[in-house]
Amino acid sequence: MLEIENLHARTGGRDILKGVTLTVQRGEVHAVMGPNGSGKSTLASVIAGRPGYEVTAGSVRLDGVDLLRLEPEDRAHRGVFLAFQYPVEIPGVSNMEFLKAALDSRNAAAGEDALSAMDFMRRARAAASRLDLNPEFLKRGVNEGFSGGEKKRNEILQMLLLEPTLAVLDETDSGLDIDALRVVAAGVNTFASPDNAVVLVTHYQRLLDHIVPDYVHVLVAGGIVRTGDRDLALELESNGYGWLVDA
Amino acid sequence: MTAAEAFVARTRARPVTYAPWLDREESRRRLAEHGLPEPRCEAWRYSNPNRWYGAFSRGARGVDPSHAGAFSRGARGVDPSHAGAFSRGARGVDPSHAEAFSRGARGVDPSHAGAFSRGARGVDPSQQEAERDAAAGAAAAPRAVGADVVDFARADARDRACIERHLNTAVDRAKHPLANVNDIAMRLGLLVHVAASDDPAEVVLGELGGGIERILVVVEPNASATLIERGATPVHRVVECVVGDGARLDHVRLQPPADSVEYHLVATRLGASSHYRLAQYSQGAALRRNDLHVRVAGRGAEVEIRCGYRLGPRTHLDTQIGVEHEAPDAVSRQTARGVVGERAKAVLNGRIHVAPGAQRTDAALTTKSLLLAPTAELNAKPELTIHADDVQCAHGATVGELDADALFYLRSRGVSAVTARDLLIGGFLAEAVGDLLADDARELLGIAR
Repeated sequence: MLEIENLHARTGGRDILKGVTLTVQRGEVHAVMGPNGSGKSTLASVIAGRPGYEVTAGSVRLDGVDLLRLEPEDRAHRGVFLAFQYPVEIPGVSNMEFLKAALDSRNAAAGEDALSAMDFMRRARAAASRLDLNPEFLKRGVNEGFSGGEKKRNEILQMLLLEPTLAVLDETDSGLDIDALRVVAAGVNTFASPDNAVVLVTHYQRLLDHIVPDYVHVLVAGGIVRTGDRDLALELESNGYGWLVDA
Repeated sequence: MTAAEAFVARTRARPVTYAPWLDREESRRRLAEHGLPEPRCEAWRYSNPNRWYGAFSRGARGVDPSHAGAFSRGARGVDPSHAGAFSRGARGVDPSHAEAFSRGARGVDPSHAGAFSRGARGVDPSQQEAERDAAAGAAAAPRAVGADVVDFARADARDRACIERHLNTAVDRAKHPLANVNDIAMRLGLLVHVAASDDPAEVVLGELGGGIERILVVVEPNASATLIERGATPVHRVVECVVGDGARLDHVRLQPPADSVEYHLVATRLGASSHYRLAQYSQGAALRRNDLHVRVAGRGAEVEIRCGYRLGPRTHLDTQIGVEHEAPDAVSRQTARGVVGERAKAVLNGRIHVAPGAQRTDAALTTKSLLLAPTAELNAKPELTIHADDVQCAHGATVGELDADALFYLRSRGVSAVTARDLLIGGFLAEAVGDLLADDARELLGIAR
């Protein structure tokens, strides 16, 4: 489904990705791990189309479509979802307004009718309760004054509502206490199905105690240096990244 | 001779036919002695007053003032062609406006005029028709509940006494010399009088069609009222509010977009322990200036001023807010939020003046603006002048662009770039919207709900 080939990308005048190749199929969960500054977040940003990143070589395709030629919203319409490492606060725009706009856009792009206000509220409330979010949060400004955990849970809530085919979670575990981590992981596990794929970008192994990946990739200095299964993550946990960096 | 001087000469020479009993000598003297703002003076640096003199002269020329005045006396006597000419001239532009105006003038039911010029206590029976007229963009009779609304031209002895007692007690004619022009050349004057009562009064002013308009609002001690201005704006309106001790006035102004050149002044004088809330929501015009001036004359008064504006391409809006703390123990809050589009120009001046003796004043002023294009222009200036030593005054001003991270966040969820911008602009402006007429304010500012 997702085919990344020899991807080179730069930002802020520095080459970050130096030939990443990665294939993800439906029904799979992949973890991309690596030390700080290895290019994990750049990879996630390039897939979602964040401005400020220049692809200098290679390709990213989703179901055969060249993602790099598409605007971020068009990528989303084709099923791409990025859970942000640092979700943005938007005062004055309520969560409800934001989620409704996102769902309406997705439905319009798919040629479907917009949800009625009542159906929307029902779905949003259900998703909120699944993530232990007080439904009152729907009335608040997007991420405004949210705790770190609330912000991350809000990202997962959006994922559940938008039902993407490819969910890229950028450091979703960072800043979460163990209870929040469990809730978030449960959300991801509910979401994962044979029809979609999940790419977890993470520095630490602990998220993988709750979400079991099919593949673990280690990204070092802008390239994938090793691919394995969950055992590779455990090995990284005990030995660190040093042995791979030096290799 | 400068444009200002020429304009002064013309204004002074003009025969007065509207409400001739009003004493205009002081205004004439001030005009002769002090003249009018020149383009280079600091207060008019970013809004060339010559454009106003020009537009105003074009509008006034060849119009029998009695006709414009006549409109207020009732559409009865109005020859629509005159009203149209005035309107076209005054705006200096779009003929469709003139047509709309003529339609309005023609279509006005004389009973409206009667109802409004005599003033109404209790519900105006023609309210629905007035609303229909307002919706059609036509001049309509004011609606008043619990207040007397009286045309100066029809004022009886008691009304005249009230007008003479209060007129120009809130306006500072030295600071706002165009108010002198308003005095001399007004074509419509309305006294809005609110007596103390258990029930708060409400007055809604739609498009009045006077061109040069004076609204004198007198809220008697301990009375309470809401004043709403909406509909198409005239070229020149002065709203003077005298708020008595312990009284309350909620004042909302909605200014739709226009292609005219306009000058508006709100001048309010507050008695002790009174409350004044002013919310102004504006779009731009060819040139629109709003001077909002509040004199806190009584101890312990509270003032809240909110401005929200959204300027479309090539429009101009100049907002000058001033709060004069003359008495102690008062609280004032000024907040303004605005969005400036392509080649549009916003001027935002916020002033707090604390006089000697106005101890324990608590005043704050914040302005936030968004520039949507490199060609958008904003001239923002906070001014604090403090002559008392025991006060709290704060000010803050920010200018920025739409947040690129927020835009990407929304777009990454499938929201189009255009909708994402609208959402962010709406979110930014929403914080300027108060509780009164919130839906109308949102609609005027183009905020989706």
